Amino acid sequence: MLRQGLILTAHRDYAQAMRVGLLGLGNEKTRIDIELDALRAMQLVPQQYDLIVLDMMLDAMDGLQLLLLMKQQAPSTKFVIVGETQDETSRAHAYQNGANLFLKRPRGPAAIKKTIEEIGHLVKEDGTTAASGEEEPMVQIIDVVQTRCLSGDSALLTVRGAHQSGDIFIYRGEVFHAQYPGKSGEGAFYEMCHWDGGLVRVKTAKLGHVPPRTIETSYQKLLTRAKNLGPLALDDSRPATGELRIVTGEAAPGLPVPNVALEAPPLQEPEAQAPAVDGTSASPFLDQGETPLPQVNAHWKVNLMGELVEGSQLADSQRAAFITYFFYRKLADVAVALEVDYFNHMTLLGSHLQQVLVADNLGIRHAVFDAPWATEAQREQYVKWCCEQSF
Amino acid sequence: MAAAFVSSEGKLLGWCANSAISAENLSFVAETCRVIMSANRAEQRAAHTGIVTFGNRTLVFREAEAGLFMVYLDSPTNEAVLQWLFAQVNPLLESEGIKLEIN
Repeated sequence: MLRQGLILTAHRDYAQAMRVGLLGLGNEKTRIDIELDALRAMQLVPQQYDLIVLDMMLDAMDGLQLLLLMKQQAPSTKFVIVGETQDETSRAHAYQNGANLFLKRPRGPAAIKKTIEEIGHLVKEDGTTAASGEEEPMVQIIDVVQTRCLSGDSALLTVRGAHQSGDIFIYRGEVFHAQYPGKSGEGAFYEMCHWDGGLVRVKTAKLGHVPPRTIETSYQKLLTRAKNLGPLALDDSRPATGELRIVTGEAAPGLPVPNVALEAPPLQEPEAQAPAVDGTSASPFLDQGETPLPQVNAHWKVNLMGELVEGSQLADSQRAAFITYFFYRKLADVAVALEVDYFNHMTLLGSHLQQVLVADNLGIRHAVFDAPWATEAQREQYVKWCCEQSF
Repeated sequence: MAAAFVSSEGKLLGWCANSAISAENLSFVAETCRVIMSANRAEQRAAHTGIVTFGNRTLVFREAEAGLFMVYLDSPTNEAVLQWLFAQVNPLLESEGIKLEIN
């Protein structure tokens, strides 16, 4: 029996019609979510669904690629790919990527009925479903979030209400992101706290990656607001944009809006780099502008997700990325407190080492200099070099 | 625009501001600077002075044994400006029994 399903499509009317049909495959507890935004769908947890029906071509991405990603995360979930045509190449590609069923988009009530019947056979093939099993006890989301944040955990909370489900991402004791089909961010968090009078089922999983950050408010303030906001006030107080955004980058004008801002340069493995006699870098890939890279002990770049995207002379790349991202987060907090735009660069002067961090719209560059040799001119040269790389 | 001194225990011992920056915010910023310095030490990259630019504004902080001094300026800085700044600040702090010496 179908317990929880997801329809991922850009076609609203089709989605509504399919939803009605799929609800008929379950009982009164069956829930079918609709997601019209493919980027947001990437953040959903596919494991919670017994069935995912997705279009072969979505607005922002290739549905078959998304299928591949989701299938890896949720191997026991049934996937139905819906294409505009039923050509053999697409069908083969869909099954190759993990689809359980490939169908032509139904047009009209009769076709939809037939499609639902086919999906019904698929669901009945395997009575045990991905989301079935022991039911979690009913809890208050606020209590669970508070406990997790207080312990500094990184956790993914899968929240199931009577009529909808969503996810809350907690990273190192702070709420980074909340979402459910149709909405994300702080507004989504507040709404979820009031689902079913606040009592829902919450499944907790360890979070092993840095989630996208759409919530900048500290968890204490977040929980206080959630408690103070009545369920009736929620819809009026916040627009349901449902769009992911890079909160930390918003201060910079002209920032593009995509929800993941991975920059193109691939990660460079540490390599022996002989210091040039003239004090400039000998590495050709680093010198793409007019300004040469000054002699540095090590330098690297992380993107706005805290992932290392470029590095040279790094002993521990993960640690380097972590500390740069840590400074980045801390300086974002400082900028908020001082009511200014995001920092341009930071210089740290020490007796043995000097460091320079340079921020742009897509990430942060970080360089370490030997203090006895580094001059103000060299640090400025590094900042200039970084600016040229950004373009 | 503002200045503050935070003891090594994190207590805001003194502050002044000619703008709308509150003592709470200054205290928070100073504490964040202390965290940054502490993280640096943990990474074996100890630093004594930090300069952060926010457009034309600059936050300068220096940490010593006694605590962390922080000043928020409405201008860019360079080494000469920093030298001049600490030449003014150090005697004032010393007169209050606070040594901002760099080890």
